[in-house]
Amino acid sequence: MAAITHTGHDSRAINSMGLWLFIASEFALFSAFIFARYYLTGRDQPEELNIGLGYAITVVLLSSSVCAYLAEQAIARGDRRRFLRFTLAAIVLGTLFLVGVGLEWREAAHSFPPPDLYGTVFFSLTGLHASHMVTGLLALLFIWVQGRRGRFDAEAHWGVTGVVRYWHFVDLVWLIVFPTLYLV
Amino acid sequence: MKPRDAYAAFVIWVVLTALGEAFVLRANIYPLAGNEFARDVDDAFRLLMALAVPVFTFVVTVLVYSLLRFRRNGEPAEDGPPIHSHRGAVWGWFAVTSGLTLLVMVHPGFTGLLELRESRHQEMVVAVQAAQWSWNFTFPGRSELEKVKDLKLPTDTKIRFDVTSRDVVHSFWLPMYRMKIDAVPGRVNSVYVATEEAVSYGENVNVRVQCAELCGTGHPRMQVRVEVVERPEFDAWLAEQEAG
Amino acid sequence: MAATALIARTRDWAFGPILRGLLTGLVGFSLGAGFTAGVRALAGADAIAFGPVIFGGYWFGLAGWLLGVGVWRTWAREWLGMPVDWTMRNGWQRYFDFTTDHKVIGVQYLVTFLGMFFLAGLLAMLMRIEHLTGGQVLFSPSQYNYVMSLHGITMIFVAVAAVIGGFGNYAVPIMIGAADMAYPRLNALSYWLAAPVPVLLLATFFAGGFDAGWTSYPPLAVENRDGQILFNLAFITLGLSSIAGSINFIVTVTKLRARGLSFGRLPIFVWGVFAMSLLGFFFTQYVAAAMMMTLLDRLFGMVFFDAAGGGDPLLYQHIFWFYSHPAVYIMGIPGLALALEVITHFSRKPLFAYRWVVGGILAITALSAVVWAHHMFTAGLSDIELFFFVTTTELISIPTGLIFLGALGTIWGGRLWLRTPMLFALAVIFNFLIGGLTGIFLADVFTDIHLQDTFFVVAHFHYTIVGAGIFGLFAGIYYWFPKITGRSYSEFWAKLHFWWMFLGFNMTFLPMFWLGLNGMNRRVASYPSDLEALNVVASLGGFFLGAGFLVFLANIVVSWVRGPAASANPWRARTLEWHTSSPPPVENFESEPEVVGHPYDYGTPGAVHAMLAGAEEEGG
Repeated sequence: MAAITHTGHDSRAINSMGLWLFIASEFALFSAFIFARYYLTGRDQPEELNIGLGYAITVVLLSSSVCAYLAEQAIARGDRRRFLRFTLAAIVLGTLFLVGVGLEWREAAHSFPPPDLYGTVFFSLTGLHASHMVTGLLALLFIWVQGRRGRFDAEAHWGVTGVVRYWHFVDLVWLIVFPTLYLV
Repeated sequence: MKPRDAYAAFVIWVVLTALGEAFVLRANIYPLAGNEFARDVDDAFRLLMALAVPVFTFVVTVLVYSLLRFRRNGEPAEDGPPIHSHRGAVWGWFAVTSGLTLLVMVHPGFTGLLELRESRHQEMVVAVQAAQWSWNFTFPGRSELEKVKDLKLPTDTKIRFDVTSRDVVHSFWLPMYRMKIDAVPGRVNSVYVATEEAVSYGENVNVRVQCAELCGTGHPRMQVRVEVVERPEFDAWLAEQEAG
Repeated sequence: MAATALIARTRDWAFGPILRGLLTGLVGFSLGAGFTAGVRALAGADAIAFGPVIFGGYWFGLAGWLLGVGVWRTWAREWLGMPVDWTMRNGWQRYFDFTTDHKVIGVQYLVTFLGMFFLAGLLAMLMRIEHLTGGQVLFSPSQYNYVMSLHGITMIFVAVAAVIGGFGNYAVPIMIGAADMAYPRLNALSYWLAAPVPVLLLATFFAGGFDAGWTSYPPLAVENRDGQILFNLAFITLGLSSIAGSINFIVTVTKLRARGLSFGRLPIFVWGVFAMSLLGFFFTQYVAAAMMMTLLDRLFGMVFFDAAGGGDPLLYQHIFWFYSHPAVYIMGIPGLALALEVITHFSRKPLFAYRWVVGGILAITALSAVVWAHHMFTAGLSDIELFFFVTTTELISIPTGLIFLGALGTIWGGRLWLRTPMLFALAVIFNFLIGGLTGIFLADVFTDIHLQDTFFVVAHFHYTIVGAGIFGLFAGIYYWFPKITGRSYSEFWAKLHFWWMFLGFNMTFLPMFWLGLNGMNRRVASYPSDLEALNVVASLGGFFLGAGFLVFLANIVVSWVRGPAASANPWRARTLEWHTSSPPPVENFESEPEVVGHPYDYGTPGAVHAMLAGAEEEGG
């Protein structure tokens, strides 16, 4: 049996809709943990939070998102060289972000380890986000490797669009998680 | 389908409703009610049943009447009439169901909430701590009574129970007073019970405190036999507990 | 290499894909468990603690299982630029394949979840034996709690997945004129994700069981025996499957409808599955979050629900019911929609007030998001919260009433053909009437305080979920049996099964309303002996109900093997699945269908729902 082809239907639109739904669904998961943070700790937060580091990794992550955007624009124009370069930049910046989160965790594990209430919401929320970051990084790495092998071009690059959209979503979630944990 | 069918079904519905109402308004299906609040809850239950009866009989009448009257032996040779909708029937249905819903929402819904609110008076405060699998009570000015098997309460007294838990979630249920509140660790939930006449577990099993939230192995037997007694007897019992 | 050759040979074995999945799953589990133990050893903790090792191993094991059972062969290779292998087997072996054919997947779901239904049904028999007397009969209280919890969660999974997973998959793509689901491989993934769930549930036996009921409230679910971990993993896994399936249905119905099939012409069953998928894809994440938080508390020292550490057990209840109330509609509405579908075709009359019924289903979908705390009326909510949730909960009666309007308006004056599917569909309406009306007593705080956590609630949700969901499932089984198998079932034995099940069901659950009202709390091995008489009635009803399924099984098995051949459209129904052969070809239609009219235009001469390109118009 061959792969089922949905004749007369736009497969890109089909894939795109599924991805949006998946992103909305993931948003629900994050919202549960964000709700738990406010429900349990109100607006309290410990003084030991390293807000400077928090801002720094936020900037790093936003830059990564911009790079991913530029990479997608590049492949849409058929410019493979820039696509590969910006994808790599997004990966490096994303990894840097994770290193930053690791530094945060080291400090946090010292000041408010998990049996602490704030530690509970802090580690679960950043951990949940970081696990999505790892998934996103693996996906970026995957399109980078595939791109180097000559896959994707101006016409066919749904893989790139999908991964980049997911990457933007993960960044957007951080823009909610960061103020939730550090600023409120 | 003829107008005759509608008339016939209407008559059947009226008869069934009358029978149903006669049954639910007279049937005594309720457990022992220990106070005014419990009797009011039973009245609300009875009212909801009285309102449910015509709805139930209506649906059943249409179902059974259609089943008997419109059935075909074997495969129907022709189709039914092409009726897609009926403006009057739809809006009528919508209006009646909405009306009933709003009625139930206001009474006994909101009025019940108000009565719950107004029942909050106390002459005595009893702290209740649930634990796997026992109930512990602290009476005013007394030390804690642990793992009570039998509990005495004074007659004609408004009591507030401040309920909490030492371990998992339990639920403090007094069936004869139709009152229940969860015992949640880290929280104190209060319920108000106005005792009336003297009564005891020996007379009726619903004169008990029962854990109503699954709490592990001892859950079903996490109960305390209650005896509501005259004030002097209660005071004597309390003193005796303190001494023992 | 000998190993490679051996693996290649497993392709021909009937259970080859499953064996490969088990093997790679075992490898994945070992890796994950070893990794977790290693990390724990490095962190200076007790390396082989049961919980964390099982937790870490499970996710790698699950990934290994999925890769081995078919994801690698049909999917992951494509990511790596390698050719994928789409060959699927024919014959009965295809039911053990990672197949992309939605019809096969539908049958896989049906058989798997019917199996779970019978298993959980046997557990229910054991519970009814225990309730023959107020004291102890079979079980210790702790054994009873395990049996009760296992019965509960297994039946919940059946109710969530049997109708949507079974008939949603089998019938929806054909009813909308599509060749398959939007994502056939994701669809296969959904099923093979669900397949480990019964295994996990049975494995709880070897981990000491679990005793916190299907709701698994913490702190109990944080402190009890380790079977609870497997329960939580099972719930998350079924949740993932459910989310993937829901997304698939939403996209399929939105994007793959045949030419001319507008939303206003969608069969009502498709509407039901579509609306419930809208709930499933979003809200299921909340139960996953609740299960995850319990595991974090239990295994990683967090304090979400630990009052001593500043957490709050009520947080769990809020998040849990935020999913689980919508979930009860996911369990009930597909069965109701299926009943309306059957009632319409067997009344040979248009579905009455179609637009209002669709509006009712959508209104229930919307309202279900704001009613969750009516499960928590005795948890210590504030007066404002009680007021809000009484209001929203009562409002649900109005759209629910529209579903009854549709059913009654359709049968009134119709030409009723009382075949077995129709009998089950009418029973759905009757049962759900009792379930719905008794729900009002629970929606009202004043009466609910007493009834909360009693057998009144048990009776109520069995009337809604079994009465609508499971009776709907059986309506669907008989309705689509000729389509699925190409054979006819025996009408006599089917009707016998119906009356047996209908009487047994009511005899079992009707007495429970009285029991709850009169002081029998739920989830108890023992109860006051004053309540024995009606418990015996309920138990006898239960045994009777259980025995009736032997009739069903015998009829289905014999009919599937030797039943007389069925025609393409034995019911002369109008929806698209009856425009193709029984069973349908792999891509459902010989030529592309085009929809030109409403599916329910009975009684209008010359009205046509759909035509197949190049074929004579058929059916009517």
